Amino acid sequence: MKIKKSDNPDFVAKLKRMFVEGKYKKLMIGILIVIIYYWALSGAKFSPSDFVKGFPFMADFVKRMFPPDISNLGKFLLKAVETLQMAIVGSTLGALIAFPLSFLAARNIMHNKLIYHGVRTIFDTCRGINEIVWGLIFVSMVGLGPFPGVLALTAHVTGALGRYFSEAIETADPEVIKAIVSTGANKIQVITRGIFPQVKPLFLNYVLYYLENNFRAATVLGLVGAGGIGMELITSMRLFRNREVLTILIIMVLMVTLIDRFSAYIRKNVVRIESPK
Amino acid sequence: MIKIKNLSHMYKNRSEEALRNISLHVKKGESVVIIGSSGSGKSTLLKCINRLIEPRTGKIFIEGEDIVNCHEKKAEKIRGKVSMIFQNFNLIERNTVIDNVLNGRLKYMSTVRTILGRFSREDYRVARENLKRVGLEENAEDRVSSLSGGQKQRVAIARALSQRPDIILADEPVSNLDPKLMKEVMDLLKKICDEKGITLVTSLHFLDFAKRYGSRIIGMKNGTIVFDGKPVDLTEKDIVDIYGKTEDWYLYGKTGF
Repeated sequence: MKIKKSDNPDFVAKLKRMFVEGKYKKLMIGILIVIIYYWALSGAKFSPSDFVKGFPFMADFVKRMFPPDISNLGKFLLKAVETLQMAIVGSTLGALIAFPLSFLAARNIMHNKLIYHGVRTIFDTCRGINEIVWGLIFVSMVGLGPFPGVLALTAHVTGALGRYFSEAIETADPEVIKAIVSTGANKIQVITRGIFPQVKPLFLNYVLYYLENNFRAATVLGLVGAGGIGMELITSMRLFRNREVLTILIIMVLMVTLIDRFSAYIRKNVVRIESPK
Repeated sequence: MIKIKNLSHMYKNRSEEALRNISLHVKKGESVVIIGSSGSGKSTLLKCINRLIEPRTGKIFIEGEDIVNCHEKKAEKIRGKVSMIFQNFNLIERNTVIDNVLNGRLKYMSTVRTILGRFSREDYRVARENLKRVGLEENAEDRVSSLSGGQKQRVAIARALSQRPDIILADEPVSNLDPKLMKEVMDLLKKICDEKGITLVTSLHFLDFAKRYGSRIIGMKNGTIVFDGKPVDLTEKDIVDIYGKTEDWYLYGKTGF
């Protein structure tokens, strides 16, 4: 069907009403979603038959994992602790760097557009590069081991926390800030007494979240040789020691659960996050 | 005390001026009440006085010092002499009462001590004394979020007093309180200012309140001053000038005429 716009504007308007605004709007959106999804699936080479065909291999893989081999348990546990240490150092270091910078990237504090956009760009770059990629970069810079892993976590977390911190600062109530300004306080005093108390719970919340996140990230950093329990995992996998692989996986799941519990406890009892009024 | 000359202000993206050519002289110890309907410019005028809002044109002198055409550092210094009380209290809700009152002491503190959170013994003494003055010494360690509206505004008054101000600007200080608390809070504020000789400039919605607490009333409409005089001189015609139609008067409490 060909529609000549100039011939019949009423007809075009009618069509527009029907499909864009009217009763067929939902249908049109539905068709659009199906098209996009079909396109995405075809690109992802999604194949349920391959998945089903692969089941026996998976079953075989899992079968050969049992029973878990605990002869190297001590070593794995030490590596798990190393992973936790990496996560703690990486998160806190990232938070410490992000903290002062985030004030420079908050619109309600930094009125200089150049600095504001500059710092934002740094954050976005740091955050945009995945921990694994940072790991590859730092391994080639300082060699194998947990140190490049820590650097990788720090780099990514600085970007991520910087972004979230500065957005939290922008949500601070401007009226409360005005009240502190009205006491005759200087800029730094306004930030420490007027803005920071408002955003402190959010900040702590983000840091805790990234501690959890970094433990998970640190486990995979071993895959590129940047320390942690992931290094043991990749070694055991390459040597087909499937029973050790299971032991390591169990340790990893337990550690993540433990850290989740820990940060939930902190959130509840130390930060005391209150529901907003 | 406060001298305003040809003050005009216009907000961004607005076509009408919020303040038009305001000139005003407030003497020491006066209790000035600004009345007017919403959008008449009361709040803008108050916030220009301590330069929370940067006025477009005009001059403002606080005790002879120009607060508009000066460096930010100087403005901070002048602001220290002027306390402000807000309609929404503007306290840090999750912090304690005493912590909020101590914020009134910031002008006496160095930046480094502020960052370390180390207020002096004198700061604590003044803060506690002022909490006692507003009747909240028992609540010093409570979180502000657990207080009632009336208590919150009294905390804000204690914060304002801890600044040891010469002037208090109160921007609709009781508009968020119920009628009984309105009177309590205004009585307290007025009494303290009278005792200490603090110049008080308040914006209020209700005529009754304005006449009760003002030694001088300023009526505003569309960004200009339409009345300036003693409460007894306020005529029915003036009220029409300020609030408009007679039938809307009950909104502002026209009792007592």
